[in-house]
Amino acid sequence: MIGCYDFCGHYEWTFGWLEQLGGHELVRDYWVEAISEDSQRHASDLIVNHGIEGMRKYWQHTLEEEAADHVMTSTDEVYRIDMHQCPSKGFLIKNGLEQYHDYCDHCMGWIGPLMKKAGFVVDHEHNHCGQCWWEMRRVDDVTPPSAPGGLSGEKDVRLTFKWKTKRTDHYDRSTSSDDKTPLT
Amino acid sequence: MTEDRNALPYTDTKPVGAADFYTAINATFRFIFNRFGRDGLLRYWHELGTRYYAPVSQQWSKGGLQSVAEYWRAFFDAEPNAEAEVSLHANEVCVVVTTCPAIRHLRAQAREIMPTFCQQCYFVSDAMAEPAGMTVRVKGGNGSCVQRFIKRSDCSAAQNIEDIATAS
Repeated sequence: MIGCYDFCGHYEWTFGWLEQLGGHELVRDYWVEAISEDSQRHASDLIVNHGIEGMRKYWQHTLEEEAADHVMTSTDEVYRIDMHQCPSKGFLIKNGLEQYHDYCDHCMGWIGPLMKKAGFVVDHEHNHCGQCWWEMRRVDDVTPPSAPGGLSGEKDVRLTFKWKTKRTDHYDRSTSSDDKTPLT
Repeated sequence: MTEDRNALPYTDTKPVGAADFYTAINATFRFIFNRFGRDGLLRYWHELGTRYYAPVSQQWSKGGLQSVAEYWRAFFDAEPNAEAEVSLHANEVCVVVTTCPAIRHLRAQAREIMPTFCQQCYFVSDAMAEPAGMTVRVKGGNGSCVQRFIKRSDCSAAQNIEDIATAS
């Protein structure tokens, strides 16, 4: 039986298996069809129907269940997550697992299409070491992403010593995993 | 059951997994089946068993049936709401699953379960067991089953796929 205890391990392994079989397009389709539209349809139901309130409910449950070290900040206009220690990426690092070249892309791979369906866009960065931040705003809100500390204060992950790494991937008002700009 | 995380090749900081991930496992099977058919899904299960779970096969090769029993005890201890008994005998390890945590959660979430969901327990485990000179026979499914891990040399009859219940 394939279990959920080491889910992140075989999930990441599956990205590499799919890429070998059908290239990047197949991996992207997997994140959209299998994860965003099938597995995570409970998230879609909450967020498409309830917007930012739905995001609060979804991530409060799922990040607590996954024991993630994170901070959520929200107003009526924006929903922000500061991930200080991603349990998923942390599992891979702890166990030395790297079958796929950028595991962190999977989050934008399923969340991006969901946000597009719900009428939101995403500003996001991840540093490949278990730290990332997200800001979701309605598509017609042109407010730029917050400056470090601007929304979540001292809990902003960008203010921590862990944040600076060799390579950070940046997404600007995105809804697709293909939109990233690497920052070195 | 006693807990021994050392029997698991990959370990986490939390004691049990997050049940919501069962929906992703089910959806992954569906995606691969829809794209590549049954042969594609069997290939996925086989390669997952031989490649991702290769460290388990190595443990079983070294430790024999004792390590098979230790692995499944640790495995089910780490799956949320699982109910399973693992017994070690002279020629086999018998895993009696009275509550499959995956089927339980997928039903609770009112998910459409892949009809062949339970066949993973034969195809993945057989791929894990083969390098250690073992195989598995699965009977039942759809929430509860019996899995017998035996030496390949002691097993003349192939797994009857019809012995594995359709999941729903």
